[in-house]
Amino acid sequence: MAVSPLLFSFCGFYVSKADGTLKNKTSQVILVRDGNRNVITMYNDFTGDTKDFAMVVPVPVVLRKADIKVVDQSIFQKLNDYSAPRLVEYYDENPCNDYKKYKEDMMMPSGTAMEKALSGKVAGARSSVKIEAQYIVGEYDILILSARESSGLKTWLLANGYKIPANAEEVLDPYIKSNLKFFVVKVNEKEKQKLNSNFLRPIQISFNSPKFMLPIRLGMANADGDQDLIVYAFTRKGRVESTNYRNVNIASNNKIPLFVQKNFGAFYANLFTNQWIKEDKSVAFLEYSWNVTPVNPMKCDPCVGNPPTEQDLVQGGVWWLGNKDWTDYSDVDNEEPDNGSTNVHFTRLHFRYNRESFPQDLMFQVTPNTENYQARYIITHPASGDLNCDAGKKYLHDLKQRRKKELMELTFLTGTNINNWQDDVTTINESEIDATARYTALMPQVKADIENNETAPAGIILLGAAMLGAAGLMRWKGII
Amino acid sequence: MPVLINSINFYFLLLDYFLTVEMCNPASPFILYTNTTVMYVTQFFKDARYFQILFQSIFLCYGILILHWNNEYLLYATYFITSLAAQFICEWLFGKKTIPFFTRLKNGIPSVLISSFGLSLLLKTNDLSVAVFAAVVTIASKYIIRINGRHIFNPSALGIVLSIWLTGNAWVSPGQWGSNAVLFFGVLCLGFIVTTRVQKLDTSLAFLGTFAGLVFARQIIYLDWPMDHFIQSVSTGSLLIFSFFMITDPKTIPGHKMVRILWSAAVAAVAFYLSAFKFMNGAPIFVLVLAQPLVPLLDSFFKANKFEWVPSKACTPAEKKFLDTVYSRSFM
Repeated sequence: MAVSPLLFSFCGFYVSKADGTLKNKTSQVILVRDGNRNVITMYNDFTGDTKDFAMVVPVPVVLRKADIKVVDQSIFQKLNDYSAPRLVEYYDENPCNDYKKYKEDMMMPSGTAMEKALSGKVAGARSSVKIEAQYIVGEYDILILSARESSGLKTWLLANGYKIPANAEEVLDPYIKSNLKFFVVKVNEKEKQKLNSNFLRPIQISFNSPKFMLPIRLGMANADGDQDLIVYAFTRKGRVESTNYRNVNIASNNKIPLFVQKNFGAFYANLFTNQWIKEDKSVAFLEYSWNVTPVNPMKCDPCVGNPPTEQDLVQGGVWWLGNKDWTDYSDVDNEEPDNGSTNVHFTRLHFRYNRESFPQDLMFQVTPNTENYQARYIITHPASGDLNCDAGKKYLHDLKQRRKKELMELTFLTGTNINNWQDDVTTINESEIDATARYTALMPQVKADIENNETAPAGIILLGAAMLGAAGLMRWKGII
Repeated sequence: MPVLINSINFYFLLLDYFLTVEMCNPASPFILYTNTTVMYVTQFFKDARYFQILFQSIFLCYGILILHWNNEYLLYATYFITSLAAQFICEWLFGKKTIPFFTRLKNGIPSVLISSFGLSLLLKTNDLSVAVFAAVVTIASKYIIRINGRHIFNPSALGIVLSIWLTGNAWVSPGQWGSNAVLFFGVLCLGFIVTTRVQKLDTSLAFLGTFAGLVFARQIIYLDWPMDHFIQSVSTGSLLIFSFFMITDPKTIPGHKMVRILWSAAVAAVAFYLSAFKFMNGAPIFVLVLAQPLVPLLDSFFKANKFEWVPSKACTPAEKKFLDTVYSRSFM
C-alpha cells in the first residue's frame, strides 16, 4: 500500500509550476486496514486556484475506477474533533458546605493552519513512462503511471509542466524499483464547475496489499523543516502501531493550572513539541485509542465531539460496517476473511517528521491491543464561599500544595520557563480565592523551588536498579 | 546520561572479562591488582547466565525508565511468577530424580529468570491469561519437547510464537526500541561479552552479518535508498537483542561450529525474505522456532561436544596452588 501525495496537505511533495515556495505543514489521512485490504483517504485542504492543484501518490497496484472515490470533507473535521487531546474541568466542593457542584467541560486545541498551492498538468507520455489507466472521478482527473526508471518519470513530469524538487529522485528510484505505480491527480475544471463548490473533496483509494505503510519520503523531497501528520486508523482488531519507529503515548491525565483553559491550544502545542524533542523526534505519538464500534455505548470519558456515527465510519472507508457497498470482493486475498464482526477500533497517531529523523517510510502493524487511551488534561476549579471551618483550612492548605504541583507540571510538560505563563495567570479572576492560594502568589514560590531543586536524572535510577539487582543476585549466591 | 551509564557498564564488564580470562594464567598482571571480592564476583559470573540476567534487567529498566514503555508491571509479575511456578511443577514431575529436588530447582532458576525476562522484553498482551499461557509453554517446552536429553526449542521464542499464533491476543512490537545509537552500541558491546563468554559469538555474527548484508544488498544496492534508510533497518534494538540473546542460546543451536554458522545464516536469510517480501513483523523469532527442530538432526550428522553452561576449563593444580597462596582462600 502506499500513499504519498506530492502536493496537497498530506505528506505532499509539491509538483508546482511556479517555483515551489509552498510548504505543507499538517496533513491528515485515514487508514482502514483489515487482513490485506487497505483503504486510504487523504485530506485535501487545498484552497488556491484549482488549476494549480496536482498530486502524486505511489500505490502498489494499478487501481481500478471502482477503487477510487471522493468522500465528504467533513469526515476529517468530525474525526479530529472527536479524537483531539482534551481538557477536562472539575469543580472542588466547599468542604464547609453540604451541597455538591460538579461539572465537566471540554476544549480542544485549535487546528494548525496549513498553507498550500500548486499546479500541474498531465499530458502525453514519454517512452519509459506508461499510462496504466486514466479516469475521471468526481472533480478529479486521475492517471495511473508506471515507470521503468526515475529519470524517465522525472522527464515526463517536467515535460508536462511539473516542477520537481531537486532531490525527488532519491525516492523516485527506490519506489520505481519496488514496482510501485504513481497515482497522479489534477482537477478537471468541467467537473469542478458542476459541483458549484470551492472545496476539493478528499480522495479515497482502496486496494489489497500485505504492506501496511505510508510513503512519507516523497513528501520530504521539497519540505524543509518539520511536518505534522495525523493518522486516523481504523481496524477490526485493535490498536495500530508503528513498527519502524518508536511508539510513545503522549502525556495524559495531568493536572494543570486553571489558567491554561484560556490557551489550551498553545499549551498542547508546547507540550507536543517538548515531548517530541525529549523523545528524540523519531517517534509515533499515540493521542487516542478506543473502540468506536457503533453499538459500543461509551467511547470516551469525556467526549469532546460526537462519536463518529456508522455513516461517518463507512464514509471514512470502514467497509465492514453498514450495507457494504464494497461489493467487489473478487480479488480479495485476505488472510483473515470477513468474519462478520462489526468491531471498529480507532487509533489516532501524531507524527512530526523531517528528513533526518525519519529516513524510512512509515510502517504499521495492527495489534490485538484494545486498551483505551486518550490525551486528557485536568483543570480543577477551587471551592468558593466561606472556608472558615477546620475542614476548610485543611482544604486551603491542600489547595496550595495542589496548585504548586500544577504549576510544576505545567513547566515540566511544556518545557517552558514558568515566566512564560506570567501573562496567562493574570487572565483569570481569582478574587474569590484566598490570597495565599492564588496562582499569582504561588508562582514565585514555585519558581524558587524549581531553581533549588535539581531533579535526579533517570540514569542514576537506572544504575541504582541495576546495581541493586546485581547485589541481590550475589547475596542469593552467598557471595556478599 | 545513557551514554555515561552504558560506558560505565561497558568498562566494568570489560575489566571483569579480562579478569576471568586471565584468572588461571599466573603470569597475568591483572592478578596482582585484584582482591578477593573481585575474584568471587568473577567466579560467580563464570556462569554466563548471570550476565544475561543482568543485561536483560538493564534492558527492561532502560525500556521502562528511558523509553517510557507503558508500565505493565502486572504483566511482568505474571511472567515471572507463572514461570517459577511452572518450573517447580515441571521439575517435580519430570526432573532427574537422582539429584535432590531443591538442588535441581535452584540450578534451574537462572534459566527461568532468563526466559521470563525474554517474555517481558518481547511479548505484549492485554490479557493476563495469555501471559500465563506463554509462561507455561515456555517452561514446559523445556521438559516435554526433548530429544536425546536436550530441549529443542528456545523456550521463550516458542512461548512467544505459540502465544501469538494460538491465542491471537498477543503481539511483538518491533518498534519499541527505536533506533537510538546509544542502545545500538550498548547492546553490541554487552552482547559481545556475553557471547564471547560462552564461545558462541559465531552464531550472532553469522546471523547479523547475513541479515544486514541482505538488507544492504536490497535497500542500498538494488533499491537505491540512501544509507540512513539501511541504518534505521539494522540498528533496531529488537534485531540486536535477538542476535545476541536469543539465537545464541547454546542448548538449542548446532554443536558443530561450521554447521552452526551455516544454520544461523540460513535463519537470517529466511527471516530477511519474510520481512522484506512478505512484510512479516518479528520474522526472526518465527523462523528460529521453525528452524530449531533441525538442530538434533544436524547434530546427529555432525558430532560435537555437548555444551555446559559453566566452562569446564579449570585451573591446573599448580595454578590453583599459586592462587591459593596469593589469596589465602580457595575460591575455585
